[in-house]
Amino acid sequence: MPNHAILNNVDHKHLRVITARGAAYGDAVMSALTFPAEFRELQASYPIVFAKNADGTAFDALALFGFQNGENLYLEERDGAVRWDAPAIPLSHERLPFMIGRGGDELSIHVDLDHPRVATGDHVLESEALFLTYGGSSEYLERIASVLRTLHDGLEAARGFSAALLELELLESFVIDIELDDGSQNRLAGFYTINEERLLALSGERLERLNRAGYLQAIYMAVASLSQFRGLIDRKNRSMSGNR
Amino acid sequence: MSNTIEHIVVVGGGSAGWLAAAVIAAEHPHLRVTLVESPGVPPIGVGEGTWPSMRDTLHRIGVSESDFFRECDAAFKQGSRFDGWVDGSPGDYYFHPFVLPQGYGDANLAAAWQRHHRHVPFADLASFQPHLCVQGRAPKQARTPEFAAVANYGYHLDAGKFGVFLRKHCVGKLGVRHVLDHVEAVVPHENGDIAALRLRETGLLAGDLFVDCTGMQSLLLGGHYGVPLLHQRHVLFNDRALAVQVPYATPDAPIASQTTSTAQTSGWIWDIGLPSRRGIGHVYSSAHGSDEDAERVLRAYVTASGGPADITPRQLAFEPGYRERFWQRNCVAIGLSAGFIEPLEASALALVEMSAAWLADDMPATRDQLDTVAARFNEAFTYRWERVIEFLKLHYVLSRRSDSPYWHEHRQAETIPARLQALLALWRTRPPSRRDFPRIEEVFPSASYQYILYGMQFAFEGAPRASDLPGEADRHFREAARLTAQMLPALPSNRALLEHIRLHGLPRI
Repeated sequence: MPNHAILNNVDHKHLRVITARGAAYGDAVMSALTFPAEFRELQASYPIVFAKNADGTAFDALALFGFQNGENLYLEERDGAVRWDAPAIPLSHERLPFMIGRGGDELSIHVDLDHPRVATGDHVLESEALFLTYGGSSEYLERIASVLRTLHDGLEAARGFSAALLELELLESFVIDIELDDGSQNRLAGFYTINEERLLALSGERLERLNRAGYLQAIYMAVASLSQFRGLIDRKNRSMSGNR
Repeated sequence: MSNTIEHIVVVGGGSAGWLAAAVIAAEHPHLRVTLVESPGVPPIGVGEGTWPSMRDTLHRIGVSESDFFRECDAAFKQGSRFDGWVDGSPGDYYFHPFVLPQGYGDANLAAAWQRHHRHVPFADLASFQPHLCVQGRAPKQARTPEFAAVANYGYHLDAGKFGVFLRKHCVGKLGVRHVLDHVEAVVPHENGDIAALRLRETGLLAGDLFVDCTGMQSLLLGGHYGVPLLHQRHVLFNDRALAVQVPYATPDAPIASQTTSTAQTSGWIWDIGLPSRRGIGHVYSSAHGSDEDAERVLRAYVTASGGPADITPRQLAFEPGYRERFWQRNCVAIGLSAGFIEPLEASALALVEMSAAWLADDMPATRDQLDTVAARFNEAFTYRWERVIEFLKLHYVLSRRSDSPYWHEHRQAETIPARLQALLALWRTRPPSRRDFPRIEEVFPSASYQYILYGMQFAFEGAPRASDLPGEADRHFREAARLTAQMLPALPSNRALLEHIRLHGLPRI
């Protein structure tokens, strides 16, 4: 059971959040949810693909970090320190261990107290306090609040985006067969991407509608992001040669 | 009438007529297709079963599967379960699932089953699908795209609603012209073709090719051309049905995803689960029992299965048989006008699909080509009808029931077609194989014959062969068991998925 609580400056006065990167802090994940407003920034580092949600009624955009569950090829260990080798991390991952909770109409910050980033005591290296001595929010917490707001708005907007892609039948499933340097054959399947042929065949009127809704640029950003597969495969090859 | 085939006239607006019109119009956008039907003929609305081929047909004509489910009161069908056919003792059942036996063709599954696993029903050992049916599982997940399957499936549907659904698609999307009028007369061409139909209100309707979908009256092929019916009552005795619609006992009662066929003294009872109700009917032989007896038997079945006592079944009478030819000159019959046989393996709509697909694929471009196409259509569908009749007969000849003359007579040699007798003689020493069914498009694959034969406990005695590979067979049986264990927890219940489809639809991709 997740141990979620509404964040407050009494119970969580001494709570600190570890900001270092690493598998130990929940960073060993294959993908993270993303949304059109951050496509421009993310496409410079990650492939952006789409996946069907659990009951098949909608599609989510994902930034890919690896080829299998638990694989994040952007995590790099050098001289004992782990870094995330990309200028930007998707906000849906950056926000952890926080989330938005809803109490009536009010949105509030919740924290997952069992998350490995949650620490107590200030001996922890690379960690941030949430509250100042007299109960005010720290700069770090202010930033988290802003991240959560952006994420919330972005995910709301993503629903219309994915509905538009479905309506225009712009999504298609794809399979990538990858041969790694060691000769092994690997397959990535179960994801969807933009069908460029259909995109190019859209009428002017439909393109204008997409553009007015702010979706057209995001669509092209997602298309452009696929060139990051090359980089992801290189990372995979490097990680395998490093293991030998 | 020109030499070019430009205008197809479909006569009759049941599910056969609209399905034929849809398949032709979807494949041939340059052809004009007109469907004429008499006004005021209410759809019958019998619950019917289809084969998995219907998925391809629906996909081919370009409808959404979610719309189809919602508008036709449709549900999943994963095969048939036969209760009481082997000897009528309690717990006598077997499945004919739509999924082929696991590893079929790789090893002699039948031999391995017979030698070491006779205590387990053949289909339950060789396929995961009977277990999905017994556990009330759907054949796919909510996120599986339209027309895609985890476990092969067809449909149960309301045939009346299906006709309306197809009409909307034909008229709205496929450009089929819909004429509501009575056909008063056929106007022949001097060469013997049909030149036109005289309609009561709108006058002459000329056409190049006429598709007779007028049901059992077979207005054009039987009526105008007098092509005789080849009676099959001497092989398959059933000629009556009593049908009734029954509500579920509770709103959340499980929906069966197989057609259950329960053997009776002089016939059998179908039980088909639609989302909103069950369709139940008793098919029987009027030569072996009275209508009153048949109704009593149906009533007993309905109440025993949790249905109401105050049912008023509707009676249907039919003459089992098919036409000597299906295509004469520029007239081809599709549906009941071509023939009808008891619905034991739900072959009616399947034959409509096959006929419509054949016609669309082999559509003659000119009058000159017509006779060539007609000749091979007739040859192919005569073969298919014969095979359907033999396959249905197979269900009866292997029964050990002895509760009535009906079952005894079914096993008498003079009621069994010669080819079926010859095959049964072969199958005494080896299982059915593709050598027994050499055509590219057989109606039933050899696997279906195996499901029936071994479901009916038919034994064979053959010396072991090198290709039997008993170890391989056991590996496939274990794989079927593994798939069962993997699928059962991953698949939603049949009712839950149908409800999800009603609310949200299935994804297109």
